[in-house]
Amino acid sequence: MALIRGTLDVLVLKAVSWGPMHGFEITRWLADRSEGQFQIENAALLQALHRLEERELLAGEWGVTENNRNARYYTLTTTGRTQLRADSVSVRQSVAALATILDARSPGLRGAL
Amino acid sequence: MNPREIRSGVRRVFGLALRRPGASVPGADAELESMITEHVEHLVARGADPAAARAEALRALGDSTLGARSGVRSSAAHRERTLWWREAVREFFADARYGIRTLRRSPSFSIAAILTLALAIGANTAIFSAVSAVILRPLRYAAPDRLVSLYETNPDFGWTEAEVAPANYLDWREQVSSFEDVAAWNNFNGAATLTGYGEPRLLNAVSVTGNLFSVLGVRAVIGRTLDSTETWRSGAQFPVVLSYRVWRDVFGGDSGIVNRSIVLNGRSLSVAGVVPESFTIPGLDSDIYSSVNWPREDRAAVFFRRAHFVRPVARLKPGATREQADAELQTVVTRLQSQYPETNTHMGAGFKPLHDFLVGNTREPLLVMFAAVGVLLLIACANIANLLLVRAAGRQREAALRLALGAGRGRLARQAFTESAVLALAGGLAGIALGWWGTRVFVALQPPGLIPVRDIAMSWTVLGYVSAVTAVSAVAFGVAPALWMTRRVPADVLKDDGRSTTGSVRARRWGELLLVGEVALSVTLALGAGLLVRSYSELRLVHPGFESAGVLAATINLPGTRYDSAFKVEQFFNGLEQRTAALPGVVATASVSQLPLTTPAWSSQFSVLARNAPPSTEQVRHREVTPRYHEVMRVPLRSGRLLASTDGVGSRNVVLINEAFARKHFPDENPIGLTISFDRVPDATSVWRTIVGVVGDERLGTMAVAPVPEFFEPLAQEPRQGMTLVVRTSGDPAALTPALRRIVAELDPALAIVSVRTMESVRSAALARDRFLTTLMLAFAGVGVALGIVGVYGVVAQLVRRRRREMGIRVALGAGARQVQWLIVRHGLVLTLTGVVVGVGAALALTGALRTLLYEVTPADPMTFALVPLLVVASALAASWIPALRASRTAPTEVLRAD
Repeated sequence: MALIRGTLDVLVLKAVSWGPMHGFEITRWLADRSEGQFQIENAALLQALHRLEERELLAGEWGVTENNRNARYYTLTTTGRTQLRADSVSVRQSVAALATILDARSPGLRGAL
Repeated sequence: MNPREIRSGVRRVFGLALRRPGASVPGADAELESMITEHVEHLVARGADPAAARAEALRALGDSTLGARSGVRSSAAHRERTLWWREAVREFFADARYGIRTLRRSPSFSIAAILTLALAIGANTAIFSAVSAVILRPLRYAAPDRLVSLYETNPDFGWTEAEVAPANYLDWREQVSSFEDVAAWNNFNGAATLTGYGEPRLLNAVSVTGNLFSVLGVRAVIGRTLDSTETWRSGAQFPVVLSYRVWRDVFGGDSGIVNRSIVLNGRSLSVAGVVPESFTIPGLDSDIYSSVNWPREDRAAVFFRRAHFVRPVARLKPGATREQADAELQTVVTRLQSQYPETNTHMGAGFKPLHDFLVGNTREPLLVMFAAVGVLLLIACANIANLLLVRAAGRQREAALRLALGAGRGRLARQAFTESAVLALAGGLAGIALGWWGTRVFVALQPPGLIPVRDIAMSWTVLGYVSAVTAVSAVAFGVAPALWMTRRVPADVLKDDGRSTTGSVRARRWGELLLVGEVALSVTLALGAGLLVRSYSELRLVHPGFESAGVLAATINLPGTRYDSAFKVEQFFNGLEQRTAALPGVVATASVSQLPLTTPAWSSQFSVLARNAPPSTEQVRHREVTPRYHEVMRVPLRSGRLLASTDGVGSRNVVLINEAFARKHFPDENPIGLTISFDRVPDATSVWRTIVGVVGDERLGTMAVAPVPEFFEPLAQEPRQGMTLVVRTSGDPAALTPALRRIVAELDPALAIVSVRTMESVRSAALARDRFLTTLMLAFAGVGVALGIVGVYGVVAQLVRRRRREMGIRVALGAGARQVQWLIVRHGLVLTLTGVVVGVGAALALTGALRTLLYEVTPADPMTFALVPLLVVASALAASWIPALRASRTAPTEVLRAD
């Protein structure tokens, strides 16, 4: 299942809010939490990470994984945390709005859905 | 502006990619790699096959596998480059179109700017053509850098680069082994009359040693040149080499001329060959090259070492250094000094590159003019920059709006710059056209001898220089408006509704700085020109010692073959004088061997009979005259008597001296009656002459040289074949010319008159070089100062426009017209004064370079340094007053309503 456009950033922020993660961990985390529904392309994720880092919502730093390999770990910055809060609200609202629209029944189409 | 901004600004302006591709995000590749590895390990940990795991990881990466990704990146970079080029070209043309449109919208501005620039670039082109032809272009001989010009020095006579005695030249040639060969020429053009080809025709003939052409590396176009044995007189008919010009114009380019005989000065000579068109001897413009034709026995004669009249040129051996050659030369010189004490005591020698010899004293006036046109160009650029800046300020709202709408600053800067470039291009093209024409005018108007080369013309060097100058000026006046344009903060400009003055403070500062620089440069230029004008006016006031008005001078050279005795020579000139004196309007006639104000005559030393004074080393000039010379020229007799027709062969030998001589050598006694000889150490063969009179001083050479001691001998006692007839008339002297020519033709049909000139024109020619230089400098300075004043006007007018409201309010509040005017004028005045102070300072530091060109004026001449700044300040005051007057007349209501 594909993501709704523009929601990847907030999901990444959410993932990282649990603690420093590297790219693949974030992919794994999102896949696990969505019960395998969201398969995120690594390239897209990388772009999102850099975008967020440029906006200073994330701070990236090279570190070493459990398997003793180099990986870039991302942590949430203070601005990132604020942004996450704001975005969570707005995404929730827009999803709710979407749902309202999609649930609405047209008089002319009664019984169609 | 922080450094990063500047860097990106610069990159933008020049259209470079803002970030280099591949470096976009540091470490991106490593991170991608680490993600793939993590993924693969994750899959393998779950039991997947490693190869399959890797494939799956790469798939999960999305559409950018590693290979594809780099492909995408490079194609993107390529696309960016192509796009950039296309965009840049399109942008450039759009900008150029826009530039031309805006320039056409304000035609008076554009024409003024283009004309200013064209004038400055044209002047630079013309002067640089001369500089390039004289100073930069190598001589047109084979390997010219190994050619040196030799000269003699003698502290006793004040000689620094004197001509050389032939015997000394011959010794150097044989004894200095670093010289491959040494040639020489007689350092003057003799007038030679060619007969047998239509009318008698006068040619410039120079005598050269036979090896001159081989030393210079010049081959004949047809026939042959001379060879080294032909330096010496032999029984054979002696050969001459023709210049290309004479061969073409006189002999119709006939190649059958080789080995044929021509008659020159009544003597039959055979034509050896023709030299190429480009060939000249440095400093001489000759038609015919003949051998010096020295008799071998002269080699040992004393006069061959005493008379100094040749210019030697040496070719250094390959591998020989100048230092070696000089050391050897000095050894030879020392030996000659002890060997020939009579002639060579203190006689030194030296050499310098032949090119330096050619450039000689032309270098200074040329470089001064070159500097002047350079300054002029700077002034022109500052002026145009200021005008452009004013326009840019006028367009700040346009710029701000475009910035606000998202136009890049680089884009705006580029556009402003393109406009300047269009302007510079137009000015440059017009300047080249003007310069091409100016070069011709310059060559035509330059007094003979100022520029020692014949062919001054546009060349690739000149074109290259002009293009560079144009480009540099485009940058010079384009940068300020371009930078300023892009430094506007849109919000400020748009908010202030065009009223506030804060937005344009920076532009104003730029403009004022430019103005101060402009005024300073024009003051410096004007001071330089002012010094030359002062020097020239001093020079004009110099009395040459004779009355030039009403005198005609005709130079005649009698061929020695037919006029081979003193009697024949005297008879000819007597006849000529008598017949001329009979012409209507003629008051008196006489002849002289050398006119005043022309190249000095021969000189010798002297001794006084029965004096035990140590021999003087003074070189005294000699002129031969017929009795009424001083009367014709109205040179006063100070004491004694003038020469008379009775002072002839057989009677007592007499001589006149001039005041300079009497003052220097007989300060406390009456020289009349003293007996002197022209030998420093008299012997039995010495001729003794009695001083019978002292006459006033005339200037020889140039006006700038103070009179030197002179002897005048009667022609009858000291015959000369080359004389100049001087005729004083009550009418227009030039009108006598046809009658004079007729008389000469009647006396001897085979004679050609060398030249007929009025003494007025001789006098004027003596000032020609200074007049030319002064006029040019004055013209440059005039344009420079005019531009500076226009600049002052522009800045003040701009100030008035900006502060109209303020002025209106002031007037409304009761300020008087004077007060308002002063407010404005003060501004212009402060800027001008600053410029003047800077300019005067610069001039004080620089005018020392003019020292050798100035006559009786110091480089820090107080009068010039007082008058010029005063003049500039006064004109600037006037220029500021015009807009100030307008400001004070503004009706307050009108201004206040206008907004």
